Amino acid sequence: MLPRFSSRKAKTKREAVTYLAELEQSVLLAGGTDLLVRMKRGEGHRYLIDISSIPELHLAVAEGSRILIGAATTHSQIGIDPLIRNSARSLAEAAAGIGSPQVRNMGTIGGNLANASPCAESIPPLLVHDARLTIESSRGERVEELEQFITGPYRTTLTGKEMLSTIRAARLEGYREGYRRVAKRAAWAVSRLGIAWAIKEAEDRFLDVRLAIGSCTPGPFRARNAEALLKGRRREREVVEEAVKLCLDGIRHMSGERPSFIYKLPVIRDLLRAILNNRL
Amino acid sequence: MFVGRDLERVDAAAKVAGRAAFAYDLKKEEMLFACVFRSDRPHARIRQIDTREALSLPGLARILSAKDIPGKNLFGAIRKDQPFLADGAIRFRGEPLLVVVAKNEEVARRACALIRVDYDEIAPILSPADAESSPLHLHKNGNLLSNRVVRKGDIDKGFGEADVIVEHTYSTQWIDHAFLETEAGIGYPDEQGRVVIESSTQNVHYKRAEVARLLGIPEERVRVIQATTGGGFGGKLDVTVEGFLALAVHHLQRPVLMRYTREESFLANTKRHPLHIEYKTGARKDGTLTAVKVKVIGDTGAYASYGETVCLRAAVHATGPYEVPHVHADSRMFYTNNLPSGAMRGFGIPQLAFAHESQIDEIASLLSLDPLEIRMKNCLKKGSLTATSQVLSASAGLLETLKKVEPFWRQRRKKEEGSGFGLGCMYYGIGNTAVPNPARAQVELAEDGRIILHTGVCEIGQGSDTVLLQILLDALGMQPPNVILDRGDTDTSQDAGSTSASRQTYISGRAVYEAAGKMREFLERRGYYQGKDLREIYREAEGQQPLRFDGFFDPPTTGLDRETGQGAPYATYGFATHMTEVRVEEATGACRVKRVHASHDVGKGINPILIKGQVQGGISMGIGFALLEEFIPGETTSFDGYYLPTSMDMPDIEVLLVEDPEPTGPYGAKGVGEPALIPQAASIVNAIRDAVNVKVYELPCDVERLKILLERKEKR
Repeated sequence: MLPRFSSRKAKTKREAVTYLAELEQSVLLAGGTDLLVRMKRGEGHRYLIDISSIPELHLAVAEGSRILIGAATTHSQIGIDPLIRNSARSLAEAAAGIGSPQVRNMGTIGGNLANASPCAESIPPLLVHDARLTIESSRGERVEELEQFITGPYRTTLTGKEMLSTIRAARLEGYREGYRRVAKRAAWAVSRLGIAWAIKEAEDRFLDVRLAIGSCTPGPFRARNAEALLKGRRREREVVEEAVKLCLDGIRHMSGERPSFIYKLPVIRDLLRAILNNRL
Repeated sequence: MFVGRDLERVDAAAKVAGRAAFAYDLKKEEMLFACVFRSDRPHARIRQIDTREALSLPGLARILSAKDIPGKNLFGAIRKDQPFLADGAIRFRGEPLLVVVAKNEEVARRACALIRVDYDEIAPILSPADAESSPLHLHKNGNLLSNRVVRKGDIDKGFGEADVIVEHTYSTQWIDHAFLETEAGIGYPDEQGRVVIESSTQNVHYKRAEVARLLGIPEERVRVIQATTGGGFGGKLDVTVEGFLALAVHHLQRPVLMRYTREESFLANTKRHPLHIEYKTGARKDGTLTAVKVKVIGDTGAYASYGETVCLRAAVHATGPYEVPHVHADSRMFYTNNLPSGAMRGFGIPQLAFAHESQIDEIASLLSLDPLEIRMKNCLKKGSLTATSQVLSASAGLLETLKKVEPFWRQRRKKEEGSGFGLGCMYYGIGNTAVPNPARAQVELAEDGRIILHTGVCEIGQGSDTVLLQILLDALGMQPPNVILDRGDTDTSQDAGSTSASRQTYISGRAVYEAAGKMREFLERRGYYQGKDLREIYREAEGQQPLRFDGFFDPPTTGLDRETGQGAPYATYGFATHMTEVRVEEATGACRVKRVHASHDVGKGINPILIKGQVQGGISMGIGFALLEEFIPGETTSFDGYYLPTSMDMPDIEVLLVEDPEPTGPYGAKGVGEPALIPQAASIVNAIRDAVNVKVYELPCDVERLKILLERKEKR
């Protein structure tokens, strides 16, 4: 049963951050797919500030070399948006697989990032696209890289008075790109593992490789060591194996040795081989 | 003719339109809400209960404990060893202590949260091995609930004659029933001051008897009515809400509603028994099975429920649907402080099928025999002797089901990497095991000229309402507007037994047929079939003779010898073959079930499309059992973490019916509810072996376990 609460519906970003500043024990509500579950389990808030209808938070537009995505854009919208499908395909594919149709129709990219579950599926594609986040409050705004924004499992740099408003993802042209999740069943299950990739190659040479892995580490993980190794190299067995090893080492370095790794690391190894060899 | 037709379900329109009244939809004036306060320790003694804070909540009506039980505080489907409300001893996490009654659900649940209990904790017994060796006894007669055996022939001679012997240990997990509608009911006093219970249930007469015992009153002072029930699968055979409702009504003399949340259902309800199966099979080099030795150990949890039935069925069905001359089966059920396991679709046979089908595939592989052919060679047929030395005199269509699947088996082609095909066969005794389990039905001519079928059969979604009417219509030679169904009310029907053991089409169907036969004879004498109006017939006969005709059927069975398990435990058996195609993705361990051909000998398909629906549902449960579902006591709290298959996990399915008529069944019909599920997990496991050469000995074979098995295989 839900604890009692009051709510305000914000019509603009300014209204939203003003409510946040002025109302004690207030929290933002977009799709509510994480918040309502927590509230059913007893988490209480005096005020829910509904930002789900703010027009400025629902958009996906091109801005120079970046795509601007409003934080309250739903996973369903991201999954079908033509701009995102063309220039940030891994993000569209990840969004289209989150939860179930009902969850995707309500859940938002901003909520996914602000909740900061290590299994959040927006994270790997946004890492691959060098995402920059704009955070607003009644005092002004600040910009932060995604990797700095998330500080640990379910922890971000957001204070209780701040609202994530915009995500800027780098446009990548000429890359083969994708997202692959592994879960306990075909749909409607938390991702046990997610890999996002964007690879630019010419003939048999890697020009630029971007790899991010989700649900594996306490914070966002981009396989920079592996990426650096692959840059400019030919696609050869030893090169791929070395890159895979660097990636797995990087994961172990960040997480330590986890019980789930007996399963996850072989899967990452085999999926990366397939991704790098263009067999997925 | 209605028998054999895809007649639309008689309950479909109301259910689809949202008009069907489930227990939670029932409303009465001045209705209260009750919920159960449960133990959060697995093994303890209650030192003190403090309800003061809860009692002071505005809107709280009453808190009831074991002390408030006027009659007997013990119930059980077979052995009455389970308290309605704990009286000192706590034996499982979730055991009920108190019934909290309040003006609405919010107050009742809030009150529950305010109750404080002091426990003296005791080290819990959490496995059958611990139960066997522990000096601590959970029940008076020790920790072994049941030990059943089957002995046929000479097991050592059997293995002596074998050219190959395969020996493995298999283990399976707890499974939740996961019915769509959680346990719910309403209780109220009627104008005669009787206690009336309307609940989501698989039986009514049994519940009435338990409620009467609980309150210490005659059964005639209790009425139980089945509300529209959204699924059961064995989880609504035991008393769930009925006892608590009756106790609340008895003390408060007002209507009371109860409904379990899903989390509560996970915590409190019985589960499929996890079984540990040690299986040894011997065969000659031509593939003939010579010997089967099986040891089954089960964890029945804190109370008996249907543990004895599962124990016995496991021993009786241990060989699988094959003729084996030498059999040594030993089945044991232990009490532990895990939650009670009970009746769950198949009563132990889905677990056994996983073992016996894996074994026969391995024998086939060692002898380079085709898995289909080795099954055809050994399958039970008319004239065969089962493991209990029963001669199958009729309706033994397993070979026909294998032949139905054969063209698909012969044409199978591995289209892509990770493709695999597997077979699973089963047989299953229809009806309760080696005990009488009759059904009664009555057919009545009413004043308005309609024929009323009075039956105690509970419709739980399997289609009995529709099927029994089809049988009635054909037996009387009438049309649907002539007949109405009165079912699931202890006031107006006689005991038909529980909706379980796949028995109602066969047993109640036959009882309905018998009653209808008597009505038909009467109507013939009175000229109905020459055109006389039924209302006229009623007027002429009224006062002269009763216009109700009774039907009765009890399948002819014998008991089983205590030392050898020999006898005829069932009058008829279901038989089936499932062929499953999977695709395993070796990189991730993901196994997708692509296609299933399922062939079932149902004796006679009274309503073929309903049977196909049953088989599709059974296949989905088999996928869950093999690949996805795992209840872990103390850890699994809801569907968040308990994975049922979704539509995206379902394969293409083709159902192929075989009709080898059962002479004692209505129009030759037997049962299919549990057979629909039983061979599915087994066929998936065999398909995985075919796909990636990995042997699965533990269920569920989920994505992680399969990947780990694949890694181990690579390392070797």
